[in-house]
Amino acid sequence: MSKPKISSDWLAVCSGCHMSLLDIDERIVEIAKLVDIRSTPITDLKEPDEDGVDVGILSGAVNMTTHEEVAKRMRERCKILVALGDCAVFGGVVAMRNLCGTEEALRRAYVETESTDDEGKIPSSPELGKPTPVRALHEVVKVDVFVPGCPPDADVIYYVLSELAQGRIPEIKDEKLHWH
Amino acid sequence: MIRFTIDGQQVEVPEGTTVLRAADQAGIYIPRLCDHPSLTPYGGCRLCIVEVEGIPTLQTSCTLQARDGMVVYTNTPKVREAREFVLTMLFSERNHFCMYCQESGGDCELQSAAYGEDMTHWPIQPNWHPYPVDASHPDFVLDHNRCVLCRRCVRACAELVGNFTLNVRDRGSKTMIIADLDVPLGESSCINCGTCVQICPTGAFIDRHSAYLGLDAEVEQTPSVCVGCSVGCGIEIATRDNHLVRVDGDWEAPVNDGLLCEVGRYQPVRDERKRIVTPLIRKDGSLQEATWDEALNLVAEKLKSLAGRGSDGIAALASTRLPAEALYFFQQLFAEGLGSEMATSTDGHAARSVIVNGQAGSLEALKTADCVIVLGEDLVKDHQVAGFFVKRALPQGTRLIVIDSGENALHELANYSLRPRPETIRDLVAGILAASKGSDPSQPDVATTSQRTGVDADTIQAVAQVIALAQNPVFVCGAGAAEAAEELAKLATSFEIPVIGLGGGANSFAAAKYGLDKAFTVNGQQAAYLALGDDNPAQDLAQQLANVPFVAVQASYVSPVTDIADVVLPVEIWAELEGHYVNLEGRVQEARRALTPPAGVRSNTEVLQALAQRLGIALDGNWLAELGLETVVA
Repeated sequence: MSKPKISSDWLAVCSGCHMSLLDIDERIVEIAKLVDIRSTPITDLKEPDEDGVDVGILSGAVNMTTHEEVAKRMRERCKILVALGDCAVFGGVVAMRNLCGTEEALRRAYVETESTDDEGKIPSSPELGKPTPVRALHEVVKVDVFVPGCPPDADVIYYVLSELAQGRIPEIKDEKLHWH
Repeated sequence: MIRFTIDGQQVEVPEGTTVLRAADQAGIYIPRLCDHPSLTPYGGCRLCIVEVEGIPTLQTSCTLQARDGMVVYTNTPKVREAREFVLTMLFSERNHFCMYCQESGGDCELQSAAYGEDMTHWPIQPNWHPYPVDASHPDFVLDHNRCVLCRRCVRACAELVGNFTLNVRDRGSKTMIIADLDVPLGESSCINCGTCVQICPTGAFIDRHSAYLGLDAEVEQTPSVCVGCSVGCGIEIATRDNHLVRVDGDWEAPVNDGLLCEVGRYQPVRDERKRIVTPLIRKDGSLQEATWDEALNLVAEKLKSLAGRGSDGIAALASTRLPAEALYFFQQLFAEGLGSEMATSTDGHAARSVIVNGQAGSLEALKTADCVIVLGEDLVKDHQVAGFFVKRALPQGTRLIVIDSGENALHELANYSLRPRPETIRDLVAGILAASKGSDPSQPDVATTSQRTGVDADTIQAVAQVIALAQNPVFVCGAGAAEAAEELAKLATSFEIPVIGLGGGANSFAAAKYGLDKAFTVNGQQAAYLALGDDNPAQDLAQQLANVPFVAVQASYVSPVTDIADVVLPVEIWAELEGHYVNLEGRVQEARRALTPPAGVRSNTEVLQALAQRLGIALDGNWLAELGLETVVA
């Protein structure tokens, strides 16, 4: 049997969840022995294989149209989708934006910032995608495994990866369950 | 006794016990949010639902009384599914984001409940309606985004504290916790007792002083006693890395049942006074650092030269914030050893506990009283926790009679508010009691009492009637009625009405027992010794001492008194000391060390012992025995 293929990507994130993934340190070698690591934000291959992967991992919330595309593509191409971290699971810190509204957040960030000059303007380009209200991943696509945490602990990520690598669905509970 | 089963376990509880409490006793945990052991059951959050054989719908175990033969299940698939649904709805209603909440990681009962149900996510996301954050209060912030509307705070404010500041507005999902008629907390009738903060199950109430300084699991909790006043509330001192984090009320404490006032909870964390950590000696007009030996020798030498001299000898004053051990040594050293005629305490002028039949009145009496007569004490300002017990009983129909010639915030809450002429409280009480027991030729009649006290006869008659009809009347005697204390004790004995005598500072009862009960005056003494501890000295104390040639101060903080001192001996503060406090009930309680004192600082007793040794005075005897308590309540 060939090794299961794993792809990952990030949406609206601080990238801390992927940093926490790297915090599994040398255990990544064990994981690499068990699985075929395909596309990730930190490898050359950026998109999951067209003919599909076994496990897709997404960190971050969905806060613009491009994220929605990435999320949907990953969902189409993977068998098991993992939401990694509080932003993917709940909307997280990113979702604070919903409390003031996208327009107001953009204006504060690009126009009213103390360091911008009079010319401050909100970037708009078709390539950038269009900002949307912030949503948790499972509001956009079906999620199979939720791994909350801000970020999830490296030990929890290692547990999740090793279970998935061995064809099991990880159970996040008790000491592995943290929402922050 | 009621016998029934919970999850197959046989349980036996007294009649009237709820299923939730019975489960707690049996060691079976049923998740809950709105329920709290100190509050009456409410049934608001629906999290504590259980399945009961023979009842088709799930029941809230916090409001369900156990009955004989009942068969209860707390963990069936039906219960768990409903519980997760309740949590799902709670999370969908407001904006609960654990990653930036100070309670996350063990202190939040909502988060812990979700963990208990293995919830990895919210099936229904919030609707993103932003809720206000009220940051108008000096000690805490109320973030409505994290509120689950369990109303613990509202109920605690009313049922426990009797302040009725917090309430709710509107209904259903529009319900909001409000202060008074929806004003900012900082502008409300809030008295800053912080009970709402302590009782909130989520992070909605954010303590400004301790938020993010450590979760419960990260701080050390030291049970101790508050030294703010003579009520002697039980506290839990939370510390981390030898820093004070927070003071909580101890829910298990016999005196205060977990309640604290602003003085106990927030004054210690707001304290910004400058600490003294080395002995100081005045040289060339300014205070300069010295060794303990130099400082102690200088004080001992001075005291020795004045020993045995009367009015031009030594004036000595001890704060009633000092432990009983230190007050006892202080009395032995100055009054007995050095023969000072002016050895007293900072509460020399205040009321002493009223001893009836060898016993001080118990605060418990307030919890069952149906008529409280408060004399000469503003319980809204001082001895506030005793005031909570009075205020919270008023909606149950407890009659409040306030007798005070001066300002008293209780006047406006009272059923009868009596303002006798100064110095006539004793006459008024005697007159009222006589009238309440019918005619007694040995006591003045109502007309005479009215004439003497200036209180109209109808009111005296009405009050007498209320007391006569009361099943459990209680007198509370404060500083303003000190002149009447002894007479009151006699009257109370003959009329069999308990009297609670309010002292002043934490150890004012012990100070009075040791005879440190004169009003402090300085009149020609050649030296003054002030054992202030961590007390904030009275405004005029430094002025009183202005003409004393030699002033030695045993103190923790810089104050106007240390500024004029010739010698300053640095000592421990409340959270650093070990010792005992005797509250107004005569209850002996232990203060425990929660913080390690700075190097160079000594305990109050050590300093007095060191002086006694240099003066060749033996400090013997037993502080506890010398209290002369017939029974010691620990």
